[in-house]
Amino acid sequence: MIVVFEKGFALRHIGHLDLMRTIQRALRRTSLPIRYSNGFNPHIQMSFAAPLSVGVVGMHELMDVPMANEFNEEAFTKELNRVLPGCLHVCRSRTVPDDFPTLMALVAGSRIRIEIEAGEAADKIAAVFPEFMASGELVTLRKTKSGENMTNIRPFVTEGSIEKAANGYTLRCVIANRQDGSLKPAVLMNALCELAEIESASYIAYRDVILAKGKDGQLMELEEYVYV
Amino acid sequence: MIERIEKLLERVEKPARYTGSEMNTEVKPFGEAELSFAFCFPDTYEVAMSHLGMKILYSIINALPYAVCERVCMPWVDMLSAMKEEGVPLFSLESRTTLSKFDIVGFTLQYEMSYTNILEMLFLGGIPVKNAQRGDSDPIVVAGGPCASNPEPLSAFIDAFMIGDGEEVIVEVVDLLNACKKKNLPRAERLKLLASIEGVYVPSLYHPEYHEDGTLKSFEPIDPDVPKTVKKRFVIDMDTAAFPETIPVPYTQIVHDRIMLEIMRGCTRGCRFCQAGMLYRPVRERSLDRLVELSEKLVGSTGYEEISLSSLSSGDYSCLSALCEELMEKFSEKRVSISLPSLRIDSVVKDSLAQTQKVKKSSLTFAPEAGTQRLRNVINKGVTEEDLLNKLKDAFEGGWNSVKLYFMMGLPTETQADLVGIAHLAQEAVKAYYAVPKGQRVKGLRVTCSASVFVPKPFTPFQWCAQDTMDVVKAKQYELRRLLSAVRGVTFNWHDPSVSFLEACFAVGDRRLADVLYRAWELGCKLDGWNDQFHYSLWMQAFADCGVDPVFFANRPRGLDELLPWDFIDIGVTKRYLRLEYERSLDAQTTRDCRQGCNGCGIERIKGLCKICE
Repeated sequence: MIVVFEKGFALRHIGHLDLMRTIQRALRRTSLPIRYSNGFNPHIQMSFAAPLSVGVVGMHELMDVPMANEFNEEAFTKELNRVLPGCLHVCRSRTVPDDFPTLMALVAGSRIRIEIEAGEAADKIAAVFPEFMASGELVTLRKTKSGENMTNIRPFVTEGSIEKAANGYTLRCVIANRQDGSLKPAVLMNALCELAEIESASYIAYRDVILAKGKDGQLMELEEYVYV
Repeated sequence: MIERIEKLLERVEKPARYTGSEMNTEVKPFGEAELSFAFCFPDTYEVAMSHLGMKILYSIINALPYAVCERVCMPWVDMLSAMKEEGVPLFSLESRTTLSKFDIVGFTLQYEMSYTNILEMLFLGGIPVKNAQRGDSDPIVVAGGPCASNPEPLSAFIDAFMIGDGEEVIVEVVDLLNACKKKNLPRAERLKLLASIEGVYVPSLYHPEYHEDGTLKSFEPIDPDVPKTVKKRFVIDMDTAAFPETIPVPYTQIVHDRIMLEIMRGCTRGCRFCQAGMLYRPVRERSLDRLVELSEKLVGSTGYEEISLSSLSSGDYSCLSALCEELMEKFSEKRVSISLPSLRIDSVVKDSLAQTQKVKKSSLTFAPEAGTQRLRNVINKGVTEEDLLNKLKDAFEGGWNSVKLYFMMGLPTETQADLVGIAHLAQEAVKAYYAVPKGQRVKGLRVTCSASVFVPKPFTPFQWCAQDTMDVVKAKQYELRRLLSAVRGVTFNWHDPSVSFLEACFAVGDRRLADVLYRAWELGCKLDGWNDQFHYSLWMQAFADCGVDPVFFANRPRGLDELLPWDFIDIGVTKRYLRLEYERSLDAQTTRDCRQGCNGCGIERIKGLCKICE
């Protein structure tokens, strides 16, 4: 079952593994025909499309929960929502065939939104953002599996805009995954702060959509890809 | 305020400690309850959320239609300094209400080294730290838990202590304070009414006097209406006693992240150093049916993947095998594993081991406590070397490769031979592993040998004993390290003797230690239970500043006829019995497990309580 869910504001500090454990415990509270792994420490089978970094709100997350036998999609959504805490919410569920590729393999990027709190720092970031988009390079320190590296983060951002909002600015961008991984909103914001020569800015980051690569090579919403 | 808290969360190392909103914590709106109770755990979230007592009382208070109970934990140092910088007061996890806005603030006392955290939490929550400075509009600060059995070192900070099992007395206290609130009674009257509840001790209503040598001369109530003796509270029937059917499920990993099912309370063994063994008498079991019912409800409401059958000595539960079998069968479909902590080596464990290993294999812990039979007799640990070696053999044959051996050093009458005995047992454990044929044993033997330092505790037969001085403890630790370094495959863990020294001071201390505690907190002591936060020199300065000698408390043997600071509490077990046990221990005479016959510990005075002595 492919599940589209929201990881709310109150849960943004909960890490990937903690979220996985929380959802597994929620699943155990349901009557759903879930599957377990074998071995000494059997656990509930499930996988996320893409881990969400700590501090980011997930508006449109996807996970795959394999079922032991077929189960009605709407009933699944309803049953899982029954046991989830208020800040975790299932939007939709969809049955896919057993040989459906893993979500992780389909992920190609994401659309993120950063709400920057009004103030001098926000103004400065708004001022340098077009400069960042126009340039071909912004090198900053980035942590990857192989350690900390100086990376040019500009190529990760394939689209970007910033606009004035009710209380500050809204920065939107499309982040494309590359061979050496993805770009965290916090790393982008730190780099922008460096560029704007400010120490820090107050903001909340949202991952609005997870993207997949469509048959024509264009990025499209992962959910749409699953549904097609 | 909530926005300011959210800002702080962006700055700290583990924000999930402070966010709340876990599963099963959506209780009721703070403002709608007539009476609010802040359940304070004087340690970090991970420790607090691992504590069963908090979950029991949390559910009891929240079940009262007029009351709301919210949780408050001790913030870690990064959060503490951020809160102080931003002027954010200590708040509850549920509604993020400032501590001082609650009607009742209740602390659980699990460990002496968490006492400074109580002062810090009160201060950070906007409540006068000393009870004498509190006014009518301040919360009533109560406390309970095992360390409340000697409440005196905290007498200047806590308004009222609850002694004994908390399930019933907490409701009486909350009921009474709700009635007082409605009548708008002044603080002094509320406290006096509280003192009339059985099991409640209000320190401001008692007055101690001392002899010239510093020992206690008298300890009397200042008011004729206040009882001279405070009687410990007992829950009689564990099946009708409240137990939560739903518990909070944290997002972030805590120390004991599982369902803790209390299968019984109390222990019949009578180990002479063990305070819990004396405090929680008599043994009271929950019935198998009730336990199955509770575990079904708890698995259903939490989704936890593990149930731990907890008690002081789970191996002694009368139908343990049947319980394990039934739970395994019930939950095999949901892959819920069953674990058994605090197994005693002399329990019938083989069957239970076979049961638990069906699902999961973890390391096994054995606590022989002392290295020789003589010293095990002194402490009345009815375990022989043969028992231990047989159980180790069972474990290694059963597929375990990792065992932990717990010992205590500095026990009364200990000699060099007893230290050698510890190394000898560790060596025998290694031998027992290699005695299992190569194909049958699981590779990678791990023997961990831990030696803690004996701390004299109130209401034990060793309450009169002195702790070894720190120099002696250090010399013994050095010697044990030397002895154990000769045994291959054994890891040796030991405790910081200065922490044990302070534990002893506060365990057996009196009212005069309240000043020391306050001074230590002023000097910056907090989170003393965490090695990296513990500052021995600050503590010594606090003792010096107050003119109190810690050696008087920790390293002085107390006279058998001395009035002890906790003698005004009737804990169930009588002082006469404790003294008898102490005298037997000096002759290395053992006392039978009380399931083999009543030993007359004093519990029999309470009709209908002990199933064994009736």
